[in-house]
Amino acid sequence: MDPATSRPAVVIDNGTGYTKMGFAGNVEPCFIAPTVVAVNESFLNQSRSSSKANWLAQHSAGVMADLDFFIGDEAVARSRSSSTYNLSYPIRHGQVDNWDAMERFWQQCIFNYLRCDPEDHYFLLTESPLTAPESREYTGEIMFETFNVPGLYIAVNSVLALAAGYTTSKCEMTGVVVDVGDGATHVVPVADGYVIGSSIKSIPFTGKDVTLFVQQLMRERGENVPPEDSFEVARKVKEMYCYTCSDIVKEFNKHDKEPAKYIKQWRGIKPKTGAPYSCDIGYERFLGPEVFFNPEIYSSEFTTPLPAVIDKCIQSAPIDTRRALYKNIVLSGGSTMFKDFHRRLQRDLKKIVDARVLASEARFGGEVKSQPVEVNVVSHPIQRFAVWFGGSVLASTPEFFAACHTKAEYEEYGASICRTNPVFKGMY
Amino acid sequence: MILLQSHSRFLLQTLMNRVQNLEKGVELDYHWVEFDDVRYHIQVSMKNSHVLLLSMSLPTPPPEAIFFGGLPFGAIEAIKAAYGVLVQILDPPRDGFNLTLKLNLSKLPPDEEHRHALLVKIASVREVVLGAPLRVILKQLASRTVAPNMDRLVAIVHRPNESFFLVPQVGKVTVVFPMRFKDSIDIVLATSFLQEFVEARRTAGLNNVPSCLWSSSPPLELKGAPGEALLANAGFVTFVIFPRHVEGKKLDRTVWSLSTFHAYVSYHVKCSEGFMHTRMRRRVESLIQALDRAKPELENSKKTVQSRSFKRLSLNDARTNSKS
Repeated sequence: MDPATSRPAVVIDNGTGYTKMGFAGNVEPCFIAPTVVAVNESFLNQSRSSSKANWLAQHSAGVMADLDFFIGDEAVARSRSSSTYNLSYPIRHGQVDNWDAMERFWQQCIFNYLRCDPEDHYFLLTESPLTAPESREYTGEIMFETFNVPGLYIAVNSVLALAAGYTTSKCEMTGVVVDVGDGATHVVPVADGYVIGSSIKSIPFTGKDVTLFVQQLMRERGENVPPEDSFEVARKVKEMYCYTCSDIVKEFNKHDKEPAKYIKQWRGIKPKTGAPYSCDIGYERFLGPEVFFNPEIYSSEFTTPLPAVIDKCIQSAPIDTRRALYKNIVLSGGSTMFKDFHRRLQRDLKKIVDARVLASEARFGGEVKSQPVEVNVVSHPIQRFAVWFGGSVLASTPEFFAACHTKAEYEEYGASICRTNPVFKGMY
Repeated sequence: MILLQSHSRFLLQTLMNRVQNLEKGVELDYHWVEFDDVRYHIQVSMKNSHVLLLSMSLPTPPPEAIFFGGLPFGAIEAIKAAYGVLVQILDPPRDGFNLTLKLNLSKLPPDEEHRHALLVKIASVREVVLGAPLRVILKQLASRTVAPNMDRLVAIVHRPNESFFLVPQVGKVTVVFPMRFKDSIDIVLATSFLQEFVEARRTAGLNNVPSCLWSSSPPLELKGAPGEALLANAGFVTFVIFPRHVEGKKLDRTVWSLSTFHAYVSYHVKCSEGFMHTRMRRRVESLIQALDRAKPELENSKKTVQSRSFKRLSLNDARTNSKS
């Protein structure tokens, strides 16, 4: 038997904003680090015009530069303190954009953070439901060629988010996953563990847009925040103070009546001069998350609120799954963690559904009474790394090792084994 | 990152976290595995939040390595010397582990700097335990003695069922690593990496570092070693360590570098594979660019005409139309 199956699998969930990594069978990832690589490009830009005697020195400098990079929080700190490092973001909008950076990122994840030997462990990676088969192939190629992993499974993150709820209460693998991450927002219906590919809906608003909106609000009000720091401050404000309200008008009134209770203070230090500053955090606390419910306050191009998109998504799914889908709407991703986000979503969605039921009953003139539709938005305390947790649960089952693509298969057939994902069942 | 760090990053992070909120009761139960099959388990219970149980299992030793009660020789003494009152060794260890330590975090020194140093030391428990026999021998080297009861050839485990060999002498210690890799590409890369490594040793400015040799056949020092240990598909690396390499603070670093030499080579083999892929990708991109440039322009202009929804008459057509 393969000794690697006796060791826990490595689960890495690469998100646009943060990467969650750890070992299967645990409840929390070992590390949650920003998905960013700081590369030292000062060696690359040295021109080749210099004399040939210098070649060896340049060559070894180039080789050194290959090892001279940082990931995660270290990368952010390095790029701030010195100008030799440039930040590059390997993932954009949920898709891998820069494979060089991605390969380096994985290298550091494995050797510096998790400190494991990739030849000893099976790997579980995640992808968004809209990832192209080619990019899945490429992932497989890097994992098998560079890291020599004995086995690899590339899971769809929305299925994993559903699986995260699997242990807590019931074995429900049917539901809609509302995944609001930093770089992509998808509404993905899943029936019995299979993704209904044709009904996936995306929204152009993500966690990053909330941050930008908060930044814009603070700038327009003229808060005293240094411009080079304002995005970071906005992100922190979003993560620490934002919440979802039930009614904007009431919330404005509440803030105006008791400013002392609702308006928070932010204290920081200017990065350039080191002088301390402070600013107020007011309406943006509830206006930030409001982007998802009333998109017209942020953008004029896309004005369909999130609950309506979810409703549209379920209505386009096969009719026999709709009731089950309404019953299990699962949140995942960091940007669904605003306080009371699930309550608001459930209320708004219920309104849409009830209105439709009433309308259809009215059409039949009250002769036919339909069964009420149950709408249920599920939230759990580990929403931030629900996908990782689902992966951890999945990878600790004995069936996982049988479902993996193995190194032997890769060597026999090539990267095309990673092309299809069984959860799409005949889609590709 | 060129060298592997001696402390486990996750263990250090967890310990720091615990120390910062010592009063808060947290349930913690975590398993993880490091390179060379070293497994860890950490546990904190709600009731005694300042007590932390750290278990560790070591790679399965090959028959030639000396183990006492599941631990390499000198390990217990090394743990006691390194941690003092902070740590209690539980006997027997937890099921499936070789060693269980009970850390009492309330006994940490109050001084910030000391405390951090001690936490880093705990996080590098692997170095303390697995490097213990190596440390004993290198310490003898520093004092230029050889224990009379020591074998001529000492085997020290560093990977599951694999060991490296030491030949302790009065003035020097010879260390021999049989290098083994699973993948055929890795073997080729590792071989050339090691040859380059030996070559780099000859550069001026590295005169004081341990001398280093690579050979594809077992060196003479390994005479008398079990036959299995002499099978290595990427050759044998020999280092000669002199007393000047183990003086004072250098000892810790030498122990760590030697005991993780295999992991170091395998990390760099993976890095160079990644580097080659980067170069290949860049090359493919430049070739694709060249191909794009070579494409005839004609095709492009044709497309735009086709994509129009209605046929627009050119000037000539219009004239002929109007004449007729």
